[in-house]
Amino acid sequence: MAGERASGGSQTSLREANRARIIGAVQHRGSITQIELAGVTGLSTATVSNIVKELVAAGVLQTSPTSRSGRRAQEVSLARNLGLVVGVDVGEREMRVAIADVALKVVAEQRLPLPPGHRADSGLDRAALLVEELVESVGAPIGEVLAVGVGLPAPVDPRTGVVTAPHILPGWAGADVAAVLGDRLHVPVVVDNSANLGALAETRLGAARGMTNVAWVTLAHGVGMGLVVEGRVVHGRRGAAGEIGHVIDVEDGPECRCGLHGCLEGSIGSAALAARLAPTHGHLALRDIVGRALAGDAACTRVVGDAGRRLGRSLAPVLTVLDPDVVVVDGDLAGAGEVMLTPLREELNARTVPIDPGPVPVEVSALAGQARVRGALVVALDEHQVGIPIGALT
Amino acid sequence: MSDEAILAEPAAISLRGVSHSYGAVRALVDVDLDVRGHEVVAVVGDNGAGKSTLVGVLSGVLVPDAGEVVVDGRETQLTSPGLARGLGIATVFQDLALCEDLDVVENLFLGQEIRRGPMLDEVAMEREAQRLLAQLAVRVPSLRAPVAELSGGQRQAVAIARALLGEPRVLVLDEPTASLGVTQTAEVLTLVERVRDSGFGVVLVSHNLADVQAVADRVVVLRRGRLNGEFDADVASYEQIVAAITGVAPPGEAAR
Repeated sequence: MAGERASGGSQTSLREANRARIIGAVQHRGSITQIELAGVTGLSTATVSNIVKELVAAGVLQTSPTSRSGRRAQEVSLARNLGLVVGVDVGEREMRVAIADVALKVVAEQRLPLPPGHRADSGLDRAALLVEELVESVGAPIGEVLAVGVGLPAPVDPRTGVVTAPHILPGWAGADVAAVLGDRLHVPVVVDNSANLGALAETRLGAARGMTNVAWVTLAHGVGMGLVVEGRVVHGRRGAAGEIGHVIDVEDGPECRCGLHGCLEGSIGSAALAARLAPTHGHLALRDIVGRALAGDAACTRVVGDAGRRLGRSLAPVLTVLDPDVVVVDGDLAGAGEVMLTPLREELNARTVPIDPGPVPVEVSALAGQARVRGALVVALDEHQVGIPIGALT
Repeated sequence: MSDEAILAEPAAISLRGVSHSYGAVRALVDVDLDVRGHEVVAVVGDNGAGKSTLVGVLSGVLVPDAGEVVVDGRETQLTSPGLARGLGIATVFQDLALCEDLDVVENLFLGQEIRRGPMLDEVAMEREAQRLLAQLAVRVPSLRAPVAELSGGQRQAVAIARALLGEPRVLVLDEPTASLGVTQTAEVLTLVERVRDSGFGVVLVSHNLADVQAVADRVVVLRRGRLNGEFDADVASYEQIVAAITGVAPPGEAAR
């Protein structure tokens, strides 16, 4: 068998390459119809159909009937019994853990509010416990977990997985998240900046599906951005690409946690918005501010609109440099919808060159606050190499 | 809706100068506490700082030696649990007071059953239970499952839902995450946020600072029965709060 494969010549190796392309495309998209598979891989529908049939028999893929534009179609996904992937999104004030099958269908999730200034030691301990308990709750042994993706709200060196801007997330500076969680759970762990993961998930599964250039902005406790350029997430030199929260918004402004002065985050992060409203409104959480702006409260509307304008000022040069297909906004503040988006669009339009057929669309995330944790699931799945069991193909 | 109208919103419930002694032991000394709607006020302190006594006073179980509660601008005395409930203070005690062998609906409506004529209106109670649990996004295996079959977090959720049935102004939670695992703690803390966002005031009594800082808007520190600092939970550091709890260093500038 091995000899036959080695000397099999182009026919066998071509078939193997085609199998790998089809598995790769299915893995990339979660689920996809056979027609779409043909389009994505450039293979004929007959070849796709044959290889899918073969891989279904080998237990690697599964198909289910569906419909696309009113026509019957076969939807292809990875066989569910291949295992589970886990996504962990560590935010400034909450942690989300999700478990999905290899078709990226979420089967269990949990959310844990976190104290301000939380630290890696207790954070990783709680993350590991949540993962273990959640996996157990779906009746699976931990051994079925193929990989874990982790998002952190700070620049992360893509090669080492370590936070490279120690002042932005001081409690997690220097923590080797992948090693600690990997040792604890005995699975491969991938770590990335959570805005990068949000951009990835939005591009694969959300509002930017099918697009290749995406600027994804998160507006919550902190302000961050993930960039997808020509289909790839941009990390930069040490994972600090896209840190739009630390663009200078006010010359010689107040000192930021990062050490600079007058950062955008210091103007439109949740603490800044709450501080501006505190004299008249008392203590408000960001979701209170958004809720009141939507209910017509004048001061909250003003503060939210101003945040949109200030974001527009800092984001316009990004659009000029990258000319993305779309800008997607996520986070509690994105929940304010047009109250924030209209001033943002006005500012972007006023500060970028008019391009036919019109300005870069600005949209709210289609993943309803789940973009970052879904992105963590996506990188976990990407990390895992789907293999074909030896002897499964004849 | 003007900005001033919001600022002028008074506390839902205020304690004024409340003191309570057990014989010669002064458990609470001249304590003031304001709780507004849409707010989680955490009460923290060491063992014996007066947390349980404060819960007792708020729930009407303990009658204070001095001080009063102000509701709607009127001063009243909290002299019984029924009176406290009538004023809009609902308390979930640490033991939850659930009946193990009764199901979720029976526990929710125990003592406050919906009746139609002489009969219990099971359909109405089940519908109301479903609505309430859905509003709080609480998942239980079945409304007709005995409470004994529920997890710690789910029991806590049922106890909180029962307390909310009477539409209180303020919900008092006594150590809601004590003895819970991390998944169940996650459920309860998320539920506390949801209760707050629905407009209720929440008094969260706990010794777990991580849980407190995760969900509280304000943190009030008790030490030897007296108030020893009040902090904005978004701004105060762990060290500042611990200093106020232990009295090791004078409370920092964040203390008001």
